[in-house]
Amino acid sequence: MRVEVRGLTKHFGPVQAVSDLSFTVEPGSVTGFLGPNGAGKTTTLRMMLGLLKPDTGTATFDGAPYTALTEPLRTVGAVLETAFHPARSGRNHLRVYCRAAGLPLSRADEVLVQVGLAEAGGRRAGGYSLGMRQRLALATSLLGDPSVLVLDEPANGLDPEGIQWLRGFLRHLAHDQGRTVLVSSHLLSEVEQTVDRVVIVGAGRLVREGSMEQLRSGADGAGTVLVRSPEAARFADVLRTDGVTVTQEDSALTVTGSTPADIGRRAFAAGIELHELRSRTSGLEEIYFQLTAGTEQFAAPYADSAVPQGATR
Amino acid sequence: MTRLVRAEWTKLLTTRTWIGMLLGGCAMAGGFAALFTAFAGEGGQNGQAFPAVGTPLYEQAAFAVSANATVLLLILGIIGMTQEYRHRTATPTFLTTPRRGRVVVAKLVAYALAAVPIGLLIVAVNVLVVELYAGARGAAPSISGDNLRVIAGAWAALVIYAVIGVGVGALLRSQVGAIVGALVYLFVIEGIVFRAIPVLAPAIKWLPGGALEAMTATLNETELLEPWQGGLVLLGYGLLAALVGTVFAVRRDIV
Repeated sequence: MRVEVRGLTKHFGPVQAVSDLSFTVEPGSVTGFLGPNGAGKTTTLRMMLGLLKPDTGTATFDGAPYTALTEPLRTVGAVLETAFHPARSGRNHLRVYCRAAGLPLSRADEVLVQVGLAEAGGRRAGGYSLGMRQRLALATSLLGDPSVLVLDEPANGLDPEGIQWLRGFLRHLAHDQGRTVLVSSHLLSEVEQTVDRVVIVGAGRLVREGSMEQLRSGADGAGTVLVRSPEAARFADVLRTDGVTVTQEDSALTVTGSTPADIGRRAFAAGIELHELRSRTSGLEEIYFQLTAGTEQFAAPYADSAVPQGATR
Repeated sequence: MTRLVRAEWTKLLTTRTWIGMLLGGCAMAGGFAALFTAFAGEGGQNGQAFPAVGTPLYEQAAFAVSANATVLLLILGIIGMTQEYRHRTATPTFLTTPRRGRVVVAKLVAYALAAVPIGLLIVAVNVLVVELYAGARGAAPSISGDNLRVIAGAWAALVIYAVIGVGVGALLRSQVGAIVGALVYLFVIEGIVFRAIPVLAPAIKWLPGGALEAMTATLNETELLEPWQGGLVLLGYGLLAALVGTVFAVRRDIV
């Protein structure tokens, strides 16, 4: 099932939360929905699911808006909230939605097993850890065996083991079962190993949509390339005349706005000897940072102003 | 719709709120009946005597005290609706049922039906206390005629107040706000203000408190509606609140 978002726009008072946002989520793959805090991710997901009314725009599931789905729980599973009635047990929470969606009550126990909460199902949800709440929320989304899964920051509160498990689980749902999975996160590193495609937003606008491969290659010059050459100074001049930004440090050049292939071609053409040529965009976090730089809603000054923009941790 | 109603029952029965309201209601209905019977025939202040055991006035008033538990059914209904917002379960609930009006209708039906056995138990405790205590004091009231009408009216009022609770909850969404607002309205605005200002007094019979009085016999002399009219007025308030709440509050964004 294909999910299409077209022109979604939403403001809260004077704050423009989402602006003319369009993207597509394809079946059989895990799509990461990325952006800094306050980029409008949750607002977008809630609009897609009919919880918020967009100012303009639509979100459709194989052509139908969420509110028009006859059996929404059997079509789309969503993890948006890790809040539960504190006095109700996890199992009873799930049973409520089995009843409401016309599913057999046995589904509650099945999904508890699926997310590894079988032991805790009888306990009050108020006593659950954040990780357990995430698992219960995920279990709720799985009740109707949906073909689309929408997860808002599902890794929050999970321990490293839980995150590892979630990665495998989401990939299994998408790759082996052909489901459509959209998972939001403010950390690229958190979903880097999970997602096949990314939709990156900043300040409510689409910044980048494409495959991880495209993002890695830095195809549009967002990445930086490291070059070592005994003729670094000469090569820097060559590159500068071509309008590429270069910084030199002894025999090393850092080139932004280009690709290794492009640099290699230029070096070959100029007859310059290279000792090293590699993309520094293997630091995906760096690309992500550059893409979303300046769009944070709550940007804080650097603790140490000597740290250059885009510095890796 | 059936499955939504059953979902609401599951929600209701998987927390303990209903037990508290049931026990509280039984305690109120039994306790007030016992007090009323204990003081029956005693001289009150200003020379007004509590009606003596054996008089129709005593019997109807003793059976009518069950209706005091309406406030608990009101709160049960309010909690039933507002807990969705308080505990943020509105998100999964409206994800499961995107047409939110259906959720409100399901809650109205579910709480009305749940209030039938709860109200019956409360009324039964009241009747039991009255029969045993008044019987011990010489005259067990008959459960027929006007007495039976008062008992049935109290039972119906308990059910209708649960419906009003759901409606008020849908209108206000805030649990504390809805409960405090409802209590202030019933006990301060209608209970004191309207009675203190003579010009407003004739309006009382059309208000929730006055309509409730109409459903059961009371010692008050205010002119009241017929019991069935009182019931309809109350039900009307509940459904109106639910309708206005659905259109203006429940449909609002779930952030």
